[in-house]
Amino acid sequence: MTTALAGQNPSTRDRAGETDTARRRKQSWAPYLFISPFYLLYVLFMLVPVVVSLWLSLTEWVGLGTPHWVGLRNYRLLATDISFHRALGNTAVFVLVAVCVVVPLALLIAQALNTRGLRVRDLWRTAYFVPVVVSPILVALIFGLVFDRQFGLANSVLRALFGTGGVDWLGDPSLAKVSIALVMLWRWTGYLTVFFLAGLQNVPRELYESASLDGAGRLRTFTNVTLPALKPVTAFVVVTSFIGAAQIFEEPYLLTGGGPAESTLSVTMFIYRAAFQRQQFGYAAAAAVVLFVVVFGLSQLVNRLLGIGRAS
Amino acid sequence: MMRTRVPLYGVLVLLAVAFLAPLLWALSGSFKPRGDIFAYPPRLIPDPFTLDNYQRLFSGQPFWRWFLMSTVVALTATVVSVFVCALAGYGFAKFRFTGRRLLFGVMFSSLSIPFAVILVPLFVMLVKTGLGSPWFALIVPWVAPAFGIFMMQQYIVQSIPDSVLEAARIDGAGEFGIFRTIVLPLLRPALGALAVWQFLQSYNSFLWPLVLVSDSSQYTLPLGLQTLFVSEQRQYDLVLAGAVLAVVPAVALFVLLRKQLLEGLSTGAVKG
Repeated sequence: MTTALAGQNPSTRDRAGETDTARRRKQSWAPYLFISPFYLLYVLFMLVPVVVSLWLSLTEWVGLGTPHWVGLRNYRLLATDISFHRALGNTAVFVLVAVCVVVPLALLIAQALNTRGLRVRDLWRTAYFVPVVVSPILVALIFGLVFDRQFGLANSVLRALFGTGGVDWLGDPSLAKVSIALVMLWRWTGYLTVFFLAGLQNVPRELYESASLDGAGRLRTFTNVTLPALKPVTAFVVVTSFIGAAQIFEEPYLLTGGGPAESTLSVTMFIYRAAFQRQQFGYAAAAAVVLFVVVFGLSQLVNRLLGIGRAS
Repeated sequence: MMRTRVPLYGVLVLLAVAFLAPLLWALSGSFKPRGDIFAYPPRLIPDPFTLDNYQRLFSGQPFWRWFLMSTVVALTATVVSVFVCALAGYGFAKFRFTGRRLLFGVMFSSLSIPFAVILVPLFVMLVKTGLGSPWFALIVPWVAPAFGIFMMQQYIVQSIPDSVLEAARIDGAGEFGIFRTIVLPLLRPALGALAVWQFLQSYNSFLWPLVLVSDSSQYTLPLGLQTLFVSEQRQYDLVLAGAVLAVVPAVALFVLLRKQLLEGLSTGAVKG
């Protein structure tokens, strides 16, 4: 039966790289046993919660007693909830920062680190990666100090350079967003650089050589050789940055508490607040389902377009 | 030749300062008396130098208990998840079986499920079924990350030839025996990378412990430090000391295994 089914799908059977060994092992139970721990955990802790979330989103529930069925009411309320709109808008801003600022910056740094004959490449890469290793609580603490209205490092630097400080980094609604964006930049750029650098080091040198033979300048080499060769890495980095930024929580929660005036409230914070501070579990679940649909939908679309995540 | 490199090195140094300065500032702040943390102009070398913050952290807070909780939870989660990922990665890399493409796709797409979606139901499920004990709930839901499986699968495809496995099979070795005696040893670099990553994820995790753990005697480090951080008079001095200590195992592990980690992370992403 196994062979017959596999036979219906020529693409699995004829894929390059499949050896006799692999083919002979088609009927074995072994692969299912190898992947079963993952699937057991996946079903229990991923699939079931997603389904429960869908169901909870159609109820009103304070966390005690029986959830009360309310149909689509939570979704109707979300549609008119200004806080939720703000959370969506803020999260969209953070996603844009991640994808349009952090990702290109990481690519630029990786490009610089890929310079031929660069000394202590490993040291630079390590230094830029260190923020990733640090606990979010330390990140929040440090940037709480950096952005302090009176004595923070940011204002000290401004005072030293321009003679004026006293910028209310975390207290002004639009500046607070900028501050959170700066923290994201600090925290994630080095992480993404690692991926781009690995990608750059995998570009065959002949491609560069033939480009220079053709008389291509730096910019043309970059757009015609480097960027196409980096496509898989870029796809991966963009998708993971998108998914990561869409769930941003710690930075605003610890640094600004979502304020001032909800200017840094993220969707995940909105969900957390609804469920665990206001006991609106059904409402929180509905917001979570909206987030799920947007994030899962968009990232599946991008994955499909760019062809990542297929079993080779 | 070298002259043209000066701007490049200048930029790299500036960047390194930008990335590391906040951390060094935190480190130095943890040795300053409370009033000096905010002194202007800010100074990197503490003067006077004091261990008072650390002493008060140990005497007034159950710091070591938080530390132990975090470390044990993270180590357990790391060991189990590395094993689960290696198993599944091997299954996907070296076998062709019915439903493989579908199952792989399902596994991979779980990367796009935001954590916030399962936060509420997971909390409800675990607490209502009595499995909400931190020793279970801080560990078990996180031991099968798709990212790790993908990383293992890519590494195995690229670095373990079928012929090795086939030779063992001809010698009559069982499938699990082959995995344990041949595949796992060959996987060591990738396992190291994944282990560091998993440890950091668990050790630094914040949102899930924040939701799950209500008993302060079972706080993990980030939760314990957060109580000092959000208290009325932000206890910057204490939190700085605690945060510096908290980051020591993470940074130490990273420095020891950074080559493996930095190279291992990008396995898979590079080829797509």
